[in-house]
Amino acid sequence: MSLSSRMVIVLTSVGLISGALLSTVGILTKERIALNKQLEIENAIITVVQGTHTSEKLYEEKDLVVYGSKDENNQLIGFAVYASGTGFQDKIILMYGTNPSFTKIYRLTILEQKETPGLGAKITDKDAFLQFWENKDSSKPLTLRKPAARSPEELSPFEVNTITGATISSESVLNTVRLSLEKLMSLKKEGKLGNEE
Amino acid sequence: MELVALFISAILINNFVLHYFLGICPFLGVSKKIDSAFSMGLAVTFVMTITAVITWVINHWILLPNNLEYLQIVSFILVIASLVQLVEMFIRKVSPPLYQAMGIYLPLITTNCAIMGLALLAALKNYSFVETVVFGVGSGIGFTLAIILMAGIREQLDLSDVPEPLKGAGIALIVAGIMALAFLGFSGMIK
Amino acid sequence: MPPRSIGEEFTKGLWHENPIFRQLLGMCPTLAVTNAVINGIAMGLATTFVLIFSSIVVSSIKKLIPNQVRIASYIVVIATFVTMADRFLAAFFPLISKDLGPYVPLIVVNCIILGRQEAFSSKNSVGRSFIDALGMSAGFILALLILSSIREILGAGTFLGHQVLGSWFEPWVIMILPPGAFITLGILIALTFVIEHKIKQRR
Repeated sequence: MSLSSRMVIVLTSVGLISGALLSTVGILTKERIALNKQLEIENAIITVVQGTHTSEKLYEEKDLVVYGSKDENNQLIGFAVYASGTGFQDKIILMYGTNPSFTKIYRLTILEQKETPGLGAKITDKDAFLQFWENKDSSKPLTLRKPAARSPEELSPFEVNTITGATISSESVLNTVRLSLEKLMSLKKEGKLGNEE
Repeated sequence: MELVALFISAILINNFVLHYFLGICPFLGVSKKIDSAFSMGLAVTFVMTITAVITWVINHWILLPNNLEYLQIVSFILVIASLVQLVEMFIRKVSPPLYQAMGIYLPLITTNCAIMGLALLAALKNYSFVETVVFGVGSGIGFTLAIILMAGIREQLDLSDVPEPLKGAGIALIVAGIMALAFLGFSGMIK
Repeated sequence: MPPRSIGEEFTKGLWHENPIFRQLLGMCPTLAVTNAVINGIAMGLATTFVLIFSSIVVSSIKKLIPNQVRIASYIVVIATFVTMADRFLAAFFPLISKDLGPYVPLIVVNCIILGRQEAFSSKNSVGRSFIDALGMSAGFILALLILSSIREILGAGTFLGHQVLGSWFEPWVIMILPPGAFITLGILIALTFVIEHKIKQRR
């Protein structure tokens, strides 16, 4: 057999065998990986809009996804909003829950962040940051409390807290929420969030 | 505006070498002289830009529409390996002076994790075509900046009295650490 | 050079030819994933899987592959195993897979793996290649463990997520950040140099 035909045969068979192996692995793991992603989102929705029984995706664009949450009686109890913005190092991806008219923020959770460990990364911490985001009044723009408040009771309903030493991370979370809320308002006006009420 | 932010962040904040630790081998290996560091940087930037374009096309036109994302690793590495060969042949034909400047560094690039890292990161972050190109160019410039700075420091280091065990890789890594520390100062500049 | 015994074939990877401390190979993943011990272990095991299986495959098909296309074939073999490891982690350990991000797929360009195929598996029997891969992986895991333990303990006061240093300890955040990786590895390499030097003097 000539050298070049041997080369072709070897490369083709190596390619074919690896392709066959990979498609098997790909098919075997595909469902599981998709399920993991779905579970992550579903868990986050239940965290931010408590009492969610079912949820459905109402709107999707780059960096903004809106899920409608319904309770057992199929009543719309709020929206779970998936949004992302630039943090101190890299993107911060978060999700928060609002009431159907966007005047109230129930809760916030951080899905992905690469902030400084021990400082900005505290945005994922309940005691240091997330508890200060519970039940906020978003009927007018939220502001940042600086210097940081020690307990959630010190804050007015329109204020959220700063993490000492990580103002930029706290600010970018606030900005991401604020910008996505504005966007949601206009989406609602255009009637793109389903026909509630 | 977002593209400018992405560009600057690829150079300074999420620097390939000092933040993602990609391309450490050439960063330590080819940073003894400023000229060779510059040529290496040029070659990497060049290949990165082309890789960014081609892997985006493969990923978005071939792999994703057919649900073949599990072939990403195999196809990216093969594309990069053959691309580097093609670029090398092309430059040798078209511009001998340029080949003189960066030719010998091209083969080294195939197994350079920076190139593969770029393709994977762009796919992972789901960048659009324009974003991918900007990210590729910015990352290449960031790599060049880091390797030239490193070479400048190492030229000075040759004249100083480094303790015997630290000579070579040891001191180079510590210098890189101090550079990474300095680059940390850039984080947060883009809001 | 007389042929090494099986034991020596294994232990050379741990010290004399330790891929990280002595050969300075595979630096990218070493620096990138050692911010926590669990990430270091996951990375070490994924690399071990790829290295061992690639070595077995390459050493058993070495006679079939023409010299001109050997690198391309090795790359395809390696990439296949890397994809398997990546998909496995994403399916069963989604959190670790998310933490490691692009560094699992990047095992494909880890110089240790291609280097061992080229330098060892393509010239030796299946058995020897297996022992060699085992030794090199053990050396790699050892290095990752040392580096990630130092970084996690000093940088967060924890080991595998458990608090080991008291509340009096203010974590050195810098150890988890990129500069800590570079500086710690630089010092460790200098240390191995000193130890090697001492061993040689004693002989």
